[in-house]
Amino acid sequence: MTNTAQTIDLSLYAAVTEAVQAEARKVLEAGIVAAVVGWQAGRRKGTALPAIVTDPAKAKELIFSPACVNNLALYLTKAKKEIRAKGKIAIVAKGCDLKALVGLMGENQLKREDIHIIGVVCPGVQGANADRAQPLSETTIAGKCRECTVHTPEGADVTVGTLPQLPHFTPAESEELARLEAMTPAERWGFWKEHFSRCIRCYACRQVCPFCYCEQCLCDRNRPQAVESTPRPAGNMAWHIVRAMHLAGRCAGCAECERACPMDIPLNLLNRKMAKELKELYGFEAGFEVKEKGPLAQYREDDDQSFIK
Amino acid sequence: MQKTITEPNLRLLIDTLVSEGKRVIGPKAAGTMTLYEPLSQGEELNLGELPRRSAKEAFFPLCETILTYERDKEGVRVTDVDPQAIPETVLVAARPCDVAAAPVLDSVFSWDFKDEFFLERRRKTTIIGLACARADDACFCTAVGLSPGDTKGSDLFLAPLTDGGYRCDAITEKGEALLAAHADLFSDAATAEPLPLAEPTLGKLDLEKIRQWLDTHFEDPLWEEIAARCAGCGACAFLCPACHCFDIVDEGGEEKGARRKSWDACGFGKFTNHASGHNPRDVQPSRYRNRIMHKFKYYVDKFDQRLCTGCGRCVRACPVGIDIATVLEEINSK
Repeated sequence: MTNTAQTIDLSLYAAVTEAVQAEARKVLEAGIVAAVVGWQAGRRKGTALPAIVTDPAKAKELIFSPACVNNLALYLTKAKKEIRAKGKIAIVAKGCDLKALVGLMGENQLKREDIHIIGVVCPGVQGANADRAQPLSETTIAGKCRECTVHTPEGADVTVGTLPQLPHFTPAESEELARLEAMTPAERWGFWKEHFSRCIRCYACRQVCPFCYCEQCLCDRNRPQAVESTPRPAGNMAWHIVRAMHLAGRCAGCAECERACPMDIPLNLLNRKMAKELKELYGFEAGFEVKEKGPLAQYREDDDQSFIK
Repeated sequence: MQKTITEPNLRLLIDTLVSEGKRVIGPKAAGTMTLYEPLSQGEELNLGELPRRSAKEAFFPLCETILTYERDKEGVRVTDVDPQAIPETVLVAARPCDVAAAPVLDSVFSWDFKDEFFLERRRKTTIIGLACARADDACFCTAVGLSPGDTKGSDLFLAPLTDGGYRCDAITEKGEALLAAHADLFSDAATAEPLPLAEPTLGKLDLEKIRQWLDTHFEDPLWEEIAARCAGCGACAFLCPACHCFDIVDEGGEEKGARRKSWDACGFGKFTNHASGHNPRDVQPSRYRNRIMHKFKYYVDKFDQRLCTGCGRCVRACPVGIDIATVLEEINSK
């Protein structure tokens, strides 16, 4: 296989950019929405950042590129009340991000009729520490995109782009998860202990997560303190376990927590493991169908109870 | 005083300092990144990459215990941590953007309250700065009035030479003393030329103009425009060499525990939450405004120094792509 076969054709992103701009301008001009949440280019070459556009004339600033890494569903949560207060919002969503919107609807955080979803076909985005000067390839693409199954979002109001032929990438995350599962519990504990020892409790993982919308996080409680807040082994371990448990069966797999972590903690591995457990125990998976209650938010007679010893 | 040192001798210097019982902190490979960490030998010094976190930890650790308590039959015993126990330290190969922040931090930690932990670490630390030969597109030290060759804050300053060695300039008495104590590892003659300094691409900013704009624009649509996207995490503040907010909490149980000081960030939603429940900075744009105001106005007004050295760490780390250099450029253009 040649090198070119291993890189992604970038022409799609330009076509999607044009279509996103046209759609954003249309819905803003027609007064269908008060704002469009999308991405705009950053100062540094090959970077992008979330954009909240209210003026149709600024729709032309919106872009779609491999730098559009953020899950914008974050901006429709309770944590970002001021944005929702503007009125009906249009949001640009990749497949993985759309799952988060669906999850939020299931949790009564969003009403389908209050948002206008501009789905974008996405071949992949760049990894957190990728060299932006290099093309999107096996070495620069985000881990989650290597084994993405939702390149084309389903159920959006409008979906733009046509998926090009994609190279086959090694599923590095699955392989890493399999490696972890093959470890003894003591080895796994050691693995996570080492990773969590680097945690600085900046809470970037929490703040970028669309499902971390609680107005009072248990981990911020100080009267009394529920989880030690200082970046030391006990509190770090507790924080990450609490987070993994809270996200079990809810996490949409956007891997924003892992991307945002300035200390390179492989948090998506934890999320994937929890998702796998939920699938095995309850046959439940985050997807494109709005479900009223996740398995950990309800009780059923036929629930698996084999883990209760 | 000016001397030169070869790279092997620089590593040997670290070995010697460690054998003298000193704490030596320098860039060290740590998994997928480089961090300023205690070195046990010169071989561990990793000069290739900018450490992910800044060097402020040498004086202002991520977390430190300031007192402990314990209950026994006789009652409760409270023990202060003795700052005198802090070891003599050499911070080696620290970047100019990190080192320049140390004297800036001195102002706030020795102001109305003298933070004895910070100040004792500062007193006991000798800083060996290292000129930067490479910049990336997030670096902007020259835009905020510093440079990749700036010696601000350094006791001894190393400039890489074309032959792989370093020119050493003693900047302070501490630096002179270190040179004198290890004279055998240094030589006099600089036969090679210094490597060209890194060239950050961002143009120079008019910092006084920025301060004046901030003076009169506490309320401005710009804040909403820039910061509605801010996710409210502390990554920028935690990685910043000059951010210095901290929280003090008591942790432990009935029998024993500790009072600890650890990093905090003004971007956190609860940072200004009052006991009454009222939060004067109730939305993210007002928190981000505080970040910029503190760095480029309040600290300048109070201490005549800026809380930004252009290291670019906040730019690299921001999960939502907020670029402080863009923010400054925008204010500068107004």
